[in-house]
Amino acid sequence: MSTTFNRRLLIVWLILTSMTLAYVWMDHTVDQNGTLRASTVVTVSAIVIALIKVRIIFREFMEVRHAPAWLCRLTDAWVVLIAACLLGSYFVGSAVS
Amino acid sequence: MTNLAGSRPQLEEKPTKFVPGQPDMWMFVLFESLLFTGYFSVYLVSRTQNEELYLRSQAALDLRIGVFNTIALLLSSWAIARCVKASREGAYRPALINASLTILFGVVFLVSKVLEWVKEIHMGNTFTSNEFFQHYFFLTSIHCIHVLIGFIVLGVVVYQLWSPVRRSQQLVETCATYWHTVDFLWVLIFALLYVVR
Repeated sequence: MSTTFNRRLLIVWLILTSMTLAYVWMDHTVDQNGTLRASTVVTVSAIVIALIKVRIIFREFMEVRHAPAWLCRLTDAWVVLIAACLLGSYFVGSAVS
Repeated sequence: MTNLAGSRPQLEEKPTKFVPGQPDMWMFVLFESLLFTGYFSVYLVSRTQNEELYLRSQAALDLRIGVFNTIALLLSSWAIARCVKASREGAYRPALINASLTILFGVVFLVSKVLEWVKEIHMGNTFTSNEFFQHYFFLTSIHCIHVLIGFIVLGVVVYQLWSPVRRSQQLVETCATYWHTVDFLWVLIFALLYVVR
């Protein structure tokens, strides 16, 4: 049982690390010769990937998947709230600039 | 002080659903993440108003250092998650080793962050340089204060696990919840400061 759990935690860590490394590839595709370029796709993807990572940390590392339904729903609602605030701020800010 | 075996049932006897740690810590986690989200929103709006300045300033940050920092904190989170499981199964020696590894990776993160600050200051990028670096230094330093508090919290875990008379699984889980919060806040800060374009 213990080995199964540890293997699961290892897989979770590998997924989180891979998602972190994906950022390097993502930024390289948009930046040109060291000059950083504005990109809505990269910005939205970066925020979405970060929120997916946060949800994985909640569910797996913080053991929310074993928690009562109210805590699962509350943490999920929190991730949605953060997503709405971050993406909303970015798009509203872009629209008024 | 609560004893592990006495206070909470072992894994096999445990009901399927349980709240990890004390519910109060979860309220703190949600409150903290909401506070940070408020600041992140201000940062993103400011960013859209002066995109060129932010992109130019961001070029002075090394994405690889940010990735290294993130992996160090993810390693520490992984270690504390293993510590919680080991302690729940009564394997206190592995639990202590994992708690120590968590502290080690936390220290790696902190040292790397301080070296990055020194590098930026030598490059002439300080708190007063421009708006981007104000956000950068404010967010990273407020996060580092959380890391420093985390070391005290991890010290409590080690202290708890050290002696059989002190072992409280609920307290270990509560402390782990705090440390994971430090980790996921950094995941968001890293994406916003280093990655967004």
